[in-house]
Amino acid sequence: MWPVRRQLDSRFERLDPETGPDWDDRLIRELYNEFGGPLLRQVRQTTGNDLQWAEDVVQETLLRAWRNAAKLTWERGLLWAWLLTVSRRIVIDGRRRRGVRPREVEPPEADSIAVPDDADKTLAAIVVADALRGLSADHREVIEQTYLRDRTVNEAAAILGIPPGTVKSRLYYALRSLRGVLKERGVAS
Amino acid sequence: MSESSHLEVAAYALGVLDDGDVEAFERHLDACERCRQELKTMSELPGLLDGVKSSSERAN
Ligand SMILES: [Zn+2]
Repeated sequence: MWPVRRQLDSRFERLDPETGPDWDDRLIRELYNEFGGPLLRQVRQTTGNDLQWAEDVVQETLLRAWRNAAKLTWERGLLWAWLLTVSRRIVIDGRRRRGVRPREVEPPEADSIAVPDDADKTLAAIVVADALRGLSADHREVIEQTYLRDRTVNEAAAILGIPPGTVKSRLYYALRSLRGVLKERGVAS
Repeated sequence: MSESSHLEVAAYALGVLDDGDVEAFERHLDACERCRQELKTMSELPGLLDGVKSSSERAN
């Protein structure tokens, strides 16, 4: 069951803990090399292009990965998915701690965004918004009351007056159908 | 493991699972190939939803 684990280990195996006291530094550097750039791009979208905050989130995420060395044995796709969930929790926690609601974002600097990329993003956002409207009311509602408003499952459950388990299962079926629609329309892979 | 454990993968992928549940779900993930696959397929959705979020924020 773990051939992948073995293969992935080889990515980090030259970072043998026995080989020296700077193992930690090298592991962190390796994580940055491997995931830092793509993670920053993802996180910037979540933080509304607040670059300073996004960099802090990336750093905290990679530190958590470093502290959870067992995760580093996961295959790349899974490790990436894990890093994304960790970074989102950090952003959501950060917003709640500061008591900030999702706010108006600074428009990205014109020269930092290539026009076709921006146009693609806008188009994707239109397709996603349309797909959301196509979901059942229950499904759309749990996505809106959790992710789109930076709320956890328990908070959304309290607001909606339904058990947390119901929020979790609705979210599950909601994401599955959302993904099905987006895949059909060529926006999700 | 109960069926409801598998369903938490969506909340986990979105990063909205409460702290107390995250650890338990990660233990589940260690043992559940089905959820590992599902997490990967769901992991691009939050990024796509971010696009909707920031465009509606701009409109507000
Ligand atoms: Zn499972």
